[in-house]
Amino acid sequence: MVSEIFEFLGSLHPLIVHLPIGFIILTLLINVVFKTRNNSVKRLITLGWFFSFISGFIASIFGWFLGDNNYYLESQINIHKWTGFAFVIITFLIWMLRALNFNLSKSFNRISNLVVFALISITGHFGGEMTHGKGYLVKSIPFLKQNKMPTVLLTEKENSLDSIYVYENLIYPVFEEKCIVCHNKKDTYGGLNMDTYDNLIKGGNNGLGISKGNPYKSLIYKRVSMSQNEAKFMPPTGTPLSFDQVAVLKWWIDNGAKLKVPLTKLRNDENIRSLVEENYQLDLREKSYIETLKLAPVDQNQLEVLDKGKYQWRFLNSEKSLLDVKFVGKKITFNDIELLLKLKEHVIWLNLSNCQLKDDMLSLISEFENLTRLRVQKNNITDKCIPYLKDIDNLKELNFYDTLITDNSFEVLTNLESLEKIFLWKSKVSTLGIEKFKSQKPKIEVITGL
Amino acid sequence: MNCNNNNKNKNYSRRDFLTRTSLGLGALSLGGLISPVDAYGNSNFLKLLESEKQRLPHFIPKAKRVIYLFQSGAPSQLDLFDYKPKLNEMFGEEVPKSVLGDQRLTGMSSGQNTFPIAGTLFNFKQHGESGAWMSDLMPYTSKIVDELCFIKSMYTEAINHDPAITMIQTGSELPGRPSIGSWLSYGLGTDNKNLPEFVVLITKGKSGQPIYSRLWGNGFLPSKHQGVQFRSGKDPVLYLDNPPGVSSTIREEQLNSLKKLQQINHADIGDPEILTKISNYEMAYRMQTSVPEVMNISDEPDYIFDLYGEDSKNPGTFAANCLLARKLAEKDVKFIQLYHRGWDQHSNLPRDIIKQAKETDQASAALIKDLKQRGLLEDTLVIWGGEFGRTNYSQGMLKLDNYGRDHHPRCFTIFMAGAGVKKGVTLGATDDFGYNITERPVHIHDFQATLMHLLGVDHEKLTFKFQGRRYRLTDVHGNVVKEILS
Repeated sequence: MVSEIFEFLGSLHPLIVHLPIGFIILTLLINVVFKTRNNSVKRLITLGWFFSFISGFIASIFGWFLGDNNYYLESQINIHKWTGFAFVIITFLIWMLRALNFNLSKSFNRISNLVVFALISITGHFGGEMTHGKGYLVKSIPFLKQNKMPTVLLTEKENSLDSIYVYENLIYPVFEEKCIVCHNKKDTYGGLNMDTYDNLIKGGNNGLGISKGNPYKSLIYKRVSMSQNEAKFMPPTGTPLSFDQVAVLKWWIDNGAKLKVPLTKLRNDENIRSLVEENYQLDLREKSYIETLKLAPVDQNQLEVLDKGKYQWRFLNSEKSLLDVKFVGKKITFNDIELLLKLKEHVIWLNLSNCQLKDDMLSLISEFENLTRLRVQKNNITDKCIPYLKDIDNLKELNFYDTLITDNSFEVLTNLESLEKIFLWKSKVSTLGIEKFKSQKPKIEVITGL
Repeated sequence: MNCNNNNKNKNYSRRDFLTRTSLGLGALSLGGLISPVDAYGNSNFLKLLESEKQRLPHFIPKAKRVIYLFQSGAPSQLDLFDYKPKLNEMFGEEVPKSVLGDQRLTGMSSGQNTFPIAGTLFNFKQHGESGAWMSDLMPYTSKIVDELCFIKSMYTEAINHDPAITMIQTGSELPGRPSIGSWLSYGLGTDNKNLPEFVVLITKGKSGQPIYSRLWGNGFLPSKHQGVQFRSGKDPVLYLDNPPGVSSTIREEQLNSLKKLQQINHADIGDPEILTKISNYEMAYRMQTSVPEVMNISDEPDYIFDLYGEDSKNPGTFAANCLLARKLAEKDVKFIQLYHRGWDQHSNLPRDIIKQAKETDQASAALIKDLKQRGLLEDTLVIWGGEFGRTNYSQGMLKLDNYGRDHHPRCFTIFMAGAGVKKGVTLGATDDFGYNITERPVHIHDFQATLMHLLGVDHEKLTFKFQGRRYRLTDVHGNVVKEILS
């Protein structure tokens, strides 16, 4: 019963604690503002000191009760506690001196005012940090707002997702914010040190921190995901881990809790993927070559070139840097292709079908470095044009239907590393040749038709 | 200053104007400062929407064009794709109340005092490596199932044909919204300047539920985005040819003069529809040569006609239209919409569906194969399906060899093939009675969102402001069906 009363009084500490703050600041203001010191002002000031002392005294007693029920950690409380006591003692002394009509010098007055003001500020600040979390004071300053995203994500997300790791970049920063204050090399509460990966797995006095592949046997996961009303819920103060953070932790443990799991592994799990994508503004999809291309938008003047030739064209992306181009005239010339060369890095898909294309015109095609899809069907082109293609590194799709190419082309075609599809309907290749090519390159799809 | 009231006939001096209207001028400039867009909380969002059209395509498109083989009247999924052996086991028994639920039925069968389960009279087999179930009704399509992506869990709210077709074509059950093809024409513009972006082909001589031109209408979009119907026969586009005695040069001169007059008119009153009219005239002029060229199938080799089937030589049939669709796709027409009527089999379904399947099966499969061998399937999306499904119980008398099926919006099957869609997969499932969806429901709006996505359009960002608010094809609904994207 007695302990319950103490606990109740302790819970009133955050309420009572504002009284001495108000009294002392009012007292100091009166001290500063009133230049004349007649008796009534003096008595008013003395009374102010008394109220500050007595309310501070009650608040500190209540604070003692609150600190006693182990809700807060000793290290968190220390400064707050001792500055608080110092405040009570000093206000008491000054009130006594004033009440006994000691003649206090002006400089003593000033110094004591400053000291008391500093004490109340420090005490109040550290008390605030306990209830509102570390850094509450600066976290909302508009110009100092810190980006919540780990910096490595910011810099790396444009480049390679493979160098971002789930533990290192998504989970550890959460631990750092919420857990490591108490579970570190120095303060190993419960014997747990979450500072390093190995110690995290090992856990503390109560057993395994992380059981790989088994979140419900991992103490750390259990403690952060249990009901917040449980005494064992972690973290004991401050904001708990968010749903998303717990979900990522669970996914990581489910998948073996390895030190180096690249972020790209997340993409196979639709739920966790969308969660992470949304939280960190990432795009975890597997990207094709053209999606990774970063080119400047096509110059408007250059587009006129296309209209001069007999081309039909459109942009493939909103940045207006990738082009899909088709020749729509009856007969193509060297000049037509040369015009297009001015845009060579931008042309991703090119269709030169049914336009009396000649073998040697394809020598110009090899300059289109980013070409992924080339359609030259319905032209009388032969094996001679094929070698021109071998320098285009990212060619994925080739359409040679209704052309004169034969089995002899397969030799060069097997060397096209990125080729995925080739259309050979109505060409001069033989069934045998195709079979052989397929056995050499089983991943390339050969479409022969009908 | 003169303060009497005799101002009526007095010319205003600069000083008078400024004095008397200063308040009004202030209000005017205030109106400029506080733009109505800013008056909303999230003005950036609205500005973003305005600029979105400039940013199209929103992402790299997989598909460049769509061929939509629309099967009007609603083909029976239970006799074609969605194999339910349970229905054959329970042939003639009542559909359990727990399955039927209490949702509305059409007035045509809600009065029935019995809902006897009608199993299918057609044999189902698994085909291809993907093991997709198909009935014997579609032998040709069965052979290409490994190219197809089935969605067996499509659903809609509409229970009758007109709202349902209007829904699937325009995203709303009420008429007046732009058709899918119009939205794409508006958003993505044209690839081939000599042909419309949106072409409609209708199988001739079919009866059944009517097809209205508003289904390919532009709604509130500028009218140049409406679908253009190509007819079979001598005049594919009505009134396109010059009248006898008018040569091409005379027509060109005439159009040029007309254009000047229209431009004067536009400068005068600024109606955007005048610009549409100018572009329509110009398009019609270009189509005088491009349309006969694309509609001429006489130089197609015999093996192509064999592929599409005997019908394909007969203009206006579904097969001939499929062949034309391929030719239009080769010419980069963005949206090619076919309609084939006659699937509305409330009675005599076994007899009628054989005929319908025969008319569409070979040509649909041929179109996909033909596109594939030409490489066109890489950037063409083919869709086959109707506006809703059909019931598992018989409408009217159930006989051992005859039954009918009523409208059933709660589940139906469509299939797609081509650009950006996974091959040889089936998404979603229905219960053992083929009545309710048990897995991955796909709403019409989801389907539309996916279609737009494949063409590089974010369905939430392609909008048009009309009557004070911004509309989109999927209105405020729709999620891209990511599972089927390759």
